[in-house]
Amino acid sequence: MLLTQSLVNGILLGGLYACIAVGFSLIWGVMNLINLAHGSFVLLGAYVTATINQTLGLDPFLTIPISGGVLFGIGYVIQRGLINLVIARSVFSTLVFTFGLNMLLVNLLLVAFTADLRGIIVPYAGIVWQVGTVRIPLTRVAVFASAVVLTALLASFTNRTRLGAAIKATSFDVDAARLVGIDVDHIYAVTFAVGAAMAGAAGSLIAVNLVFSPVLGDYYTMKAFVVVVLGGLGSIPGALVGGLVLGITDNLASVVLDPGYRDAVSFALLLLVLVLSPRGLFGKPFYAEIKA
Amino acid sequence: MPRSKPERRAPIGPLAVAVLFVMLIAAGLVLNGYWQRTLTEVFLVATIAQSINIIAGFTGYAAFGQVVFFGLGNYTLAIAMTSLHAPFLAGAAMGSVVCAGFAMVCGVPLFRLKGHYFAIATLGLNEAVKAVVNNWSSLTGGGSGISLSLPAGNDRGNAQVFYGAFLMLMWASIAMVWLLGRTRFGYACRAIRADEDAAASTGVNPLFYKTGAWMVSAVLAGLAGSLYAYWQSYIEPGVAFDMDISVKGFVVLLLGGAGSVFGPIVAAFVFQIVSTVTWGHLLTFHLGTMGILIMLTVLLLPQRYTWSERRRAVVAGLQSARQRLVGARP
Repeated sequence: MLLTQSLVNGILLGGLYACIAVGFSLIWGVMNLINLAHGSFVLLGAYVTATINQTLGLDPFLTIPISGGVLFGIGYVIQRGLINLVIARSVFSTLVFTFGLNMLLVNLLLVAFTADLRGIIVPYAGIVWQVGTVRIPLTRVAVFASAVVLTALLASFTNRTRLGAAIKATSFDVDAARLVGIDVDHIYAVTFAVGAAMAGAAGSLIAVNLVFSPVLGDYYTMKAFVVVVLGGLGSIPGALVGGLVLGITDNLASVVLDPGYRDAVSFALLLLVLVLSPRGLFGKPFYAEIKA
Repeated sequence: MPRSKPERRAPIGPLAVAVLFVMLIAAGLVLNGYWQRTLTEVFLVATIAQSINIIAGFTGYAAFGQVVFFGLGNYTLAIAMTSLHAPFLAGAAMGSVVCAGFAMVCGVPLFRLKGHYFAIATLGLNEAVKAVVNNWSSLTGGGSGISLSLPAGNDRGNAQVFYGAFLMLMWASIAMVWLLGRTRFGYACRAIRADEDAAASTGVNPLFYKTGAWMVSAVLAGLAGSLYAYWQSYIEPGVAFDMDISVKGFVVLLLGGAGSVFGPIVAAFVFQIVSTVTWGHLLTFHLGTMGILIMLTVLLLPQRYTWSERRRAVVAGLQSARQRLVGARP
């Protein structure tokens, strides 16, 4: 009974994890950049939603386009103005750079919103379905559904639009993309902006289901790491599967072992997948392999 | 005809090192507590930077989660001293063994990864170990940490002992890097950095040298951790496995240039002073200021390992700019 319940909880949480990770995966896969500030983008989205919800009373789910839009703009500017200057540098330069960027964003969030733990309680938060012995809260289902829809929207954007095709082309071969007339700098900025927008939208969803605070950004960045490695870099369906696997293992580890060991288990999983199958469960070859 | 002259090494090198050596010892004897503590932290950061230098600078593997060895050094010492009642030196030796062993055991599988994947794996390793330490309360005290008894003696004397110990450790790490740069081992590591496949085809076993380099760098970070734990006399997982320590090391390495003896010391000094000053004066925007400084460091310093490489890069850049200007004329 407890196991079924934690399985259901895991799947519902997994959708949210997928939504958090998919933008991170896109940026990493296309630009070969690990954005350590991703968690802060997620939180920024959560604070946009919280602020609108407080001042205008708008339902958190309706603020998703706004938080996504705000983060799209911020992402575009950050990529064009900052990240683009170091994009060609070595792994440790870009890691250190985005770590610094994250420090700045965390500090700005702390100044603007203080370190208090926040959360939004919607009027329908108390509605819970009882299926057999399993309890399913409405908000969790709504968050799961929204996360899956957002992820599917991203997939159709990259698969079915001209801009998406240009992003894919750039990720396969930068030089060839330039030769056929793609403005690579613009594509990188759009990719980063789309990734940030997905993070912002995920933040809106987090605001409904979980608590947030400016210092929790790293936690979500780490979740994104694990999901991306599990599902395979740059693969959107992979992120969905990776998110579900992580959501389920998180919940099972809490029940079977101890809630404290949840993170240890997810990082053990990360290391195991990296070592045994570095392409992830559904991944394409390493970016480095495509480049070389 | 300045160009035909062979590059001459400045004779001032060894002399300057000797002067700095004496000056830093003298400083430990005369400085007040505040500056003594600041300099001790400088030595710690410089040691971490050299530890990272050995794995990231020499072999080119960005071990972003290097702080895991610092944390293991912290905890091995603390557990040895409290549970086993071992003396400090025995605890530090055990810390070194644990770090070297851990680097060896993890190195074999992890060195199959490259670039970002290796960096992420080391980050994951640090988080996994941190989570285990946080939860294995019977051994590690969990989130409430471990308190160590202070060494016997007065505060001033102890401060000087730790100053001296961290100073020695820093010189040892510098000597290690200097020596590595001149041995077969160091050449093999740099060949791996330049082109791993080519190195392998000339008979260099990449896994052996990469793992070896990581073990050496792990021992340095572990010793720094052991000494730090004894100095602070209190440890907890959040501090021992704090990613900031890794990042500080990387920034100091970027700022100071990996190939130089003075670079990282001066860079650690500048970084630590700026950090202390902003901490004191910009309480609410300390983190952001450091973030901006870190970004500026990466932005402004050309991605080269040593100052001489940087100088050459700048000269080459100027020359090509001049050629372009001259060539553009009709």
